[in-house]
Amino acid sequence: MELAKIESVLDSYFEGETTLAEEKMLREYFSGNQVAPHLEAYKNLFIGLKNAQAEVSEKEVILPKVTNSSNRRRWLSVAVSVVIVLGVVGLQFSENNNQLTPEEEQALAEFNKTKETLLLLSNSFNKGTGELAVLGEFTIAKNKILK
Amino acid sequence: MNQIEFLETILPCKDKLFRLAKRLLVSKDEAEDAVQEVFLKLWKGRDKIQNYKSPEAFAITMTKNYCLDRLKSRQASNLKIVHNNYKNSENIERDLEANEGVELVTKIMKNLPEKQKIIMQLRDIEQFEFAEISQMLEINETAIRVALSRARKVVREQLIKQYNYGIS
Repeated sequence: MELAKIESVLDSYFEGETTLAEEKMLREYFSGNQVAPHLEAYKNLFIGLKNAQAEVSEKEVILPKVTNSSNRRRWLSVAVSVVIVLGVVGLQFSENNNQLTPEEEQALAEFNKTKETLLLLSNSFNKGTGELAVLGEFTIAKNKILK
Repeated sequence: MNQIEFLETILPCKDKLFRLAKRLLVSKDEAEDAVQEVFLKLWKGRDKIQNYKSPEAFAITMTKNYCLDRLKSRQASNLKIVHNNYKNSENIERDLEANEGVELVTKIMKNLPEKQKIIMQLRDIEQFEFAEISQMLEINETAIRVALSRARKVVREQLIKQYNYGIS
């Protein structure tokens, strides 16, 4: 770096007329090893200004837990609407269960039968885990049922 | 604004607030307390933070005001001053080993008037633009340059005095 330039930037530094880029240049110059002897006095200042920016606070800040009333009210309204929706849905289900149409009764019977079959299958599975060779047969049987 | 959003906005400038507070209050413990207080204040007014163009500038203004208030009440009650000076000389010795030049800067800036201290801290250490400092302190840029120049010249005088003393 040209010494004359450094000197002139240093002068404007003390006049408060340097830009951030020029100030950075000064810090870099004075952090280097080739500071001119007559500028030696400024060396520690610019090094110190640079290092001062590295100081950090070691203490964590603590913020209060959120117990905001508006937040609580929001959650309350969500909870209330969930309860209402569940109530309406439950009511409809219970009404439907009371009077089944013939189709529904048939479907229910078929469903129960399938359930029984699958339960049987599951029992067989539990028994037969040791005999893995038979597993193929079960798959075929299962495919027949669940066509 | 929830806690996570709040911290994402404000936490990055925590150390800047700490350094400014320490420059003004000198004691590290008091600076940490100041940061904690400022964070609480910001948290309480978190819904307003988004209205500010720069939350960082807002936080710095708040820290500056808080510290100046602390200094005023300290002066009024005349408390802890001796204690702080004593503590500070201890700190300086410890810092000396850790950070080259920092101790010198602390010592040399210590006797500047508060306004010059703040401006030099924000410009020469935190490297803010004059426009930003002007916004934080609500002082126009010309006045900031003038105060900064005064502060730097006082620093220069002390530097040269010390340097000559050191070599003679």
